[in-house]
Amino acid sequence: MMNDPDLLIIDRILAGEQPAYAALVNKYKSYAFTIAQKILQNRSESEEAAQDAFIKAYHHLVGFNRESKFSTWLYRIVFNTAISYKRKNRQQFQSLETTVIEYNQDADGMLEKTDKKKYLNQALAKLNEADRTALTLFYLEEFSLEEIADITGMQANTAKVRIHRARLRLADELKTILNEEALTL
Amino acid sequence: MEKIPQHLDDKLLRYIDGELNANEKQALDEELKHNEALGTRLNQLQTMNQSLRNSKFEHPSRNFTQLVMSKLDQYPMHSSSFSIRNGILLLAGVLVAIGIASVLVSSGVFDSATATIDLNQVNLPKKYIERTLPSIPFNGKLIVNIIILLNLGLAWLVLDRAILKPFFQRRMHTGH
Repeated sequence: MMNDPDLLIIDRILAGEQPAYAALVNKYKSYAFTIAQKILQNRSESEEAAQDAFIKAYHHLVGFNRESKFSTWLYRIVFNTAISYKRKNRQQFQSLETTVIEYNQDADGMLEKTDKKKYLNQALAKLNEADRTALTLFYLEEFSLEEIADITGMQANTAKVRIHRARLRLADELKTILNEEALTL
Repeated sequence: MEKIPQHLDDKLLRYIDGELNANEKQALDEELKHNEALGTRLNQLQTMNQSLRNSKFEHPSRNFTQLVMSKLDQYPMHSSSFSIRNGILLLAGVLVAIGIASVLVSSGVFDSATATIDLNQVNLPKKYIERTLPSIPFNGKLIVNIIILLNLGLAWLVLDRAILKPFFQRRMHTGH
């Protein structure tokens, strides 16, 4: 952990060099945004939540205990921030089906380049946010199970079981959506 | 379509992840030759797995970093609905109220504010009352003293949350 290059940047920030934080934002913004997007499934809200998380992280940097990677700590903040955004706006949310349709329409031409991705996103939208995030983290292959558990606030064993079940459920959802035609994806 | 039992589903995922040992893999390969439903399920899981593996990062807007950096200094103001100035004003108001109340108590204004609330005089249907109700003594001085104590607690909270905390937060982020 001592060799983590992020720690050098953090030391500079804590010494008062605020612009150094831009390097951390640049480095982790896509991953943070991806996590927020998987939870909120709304581009503008995800962007706002991810920004908010980076700002919170900056202001609590002094409390980062360096026992875990900075990225794990940051993504936990992103995860919690996105979850609280979701809760805050829950009453404004439409039914699941409508949300899925709207999400895909919104993504037309921007996010959904292929039917394959569209169907996958539709199936992912049927899972709850914790499962969706755990699956995303698992498949982006940057974190160990322990780190995924840390980010999502679960025990490692729980995370393992959850990812396992979410994969099976996602396959079922894909099957339902495509009605067996999923095999041709 | 025949439903695949849970343990076989689990085994298929382990097969995809390459976690089966040679014997388990051979046994499953053998079973897949004869069990069409199992083969279909494996295909579904592989499709799901491949789709997820191919999914990439999503990218925020180009000015994301710039936006974050421009908002860094707004955070303490944004997080508290109270400015330090308002906190000081509120604290001053609470302290003035405590001072006035204390002066009034010590000058004996509330010494005569005593009464007794006799519950028997309250107009209640007699059929619900089996025995004589007690009288409740009311002491104005005691009540005002309790209010002063509560105000002291409130003043302490205001001092901590609305003045000291924002002050040290601001100093931490701008002072260094």
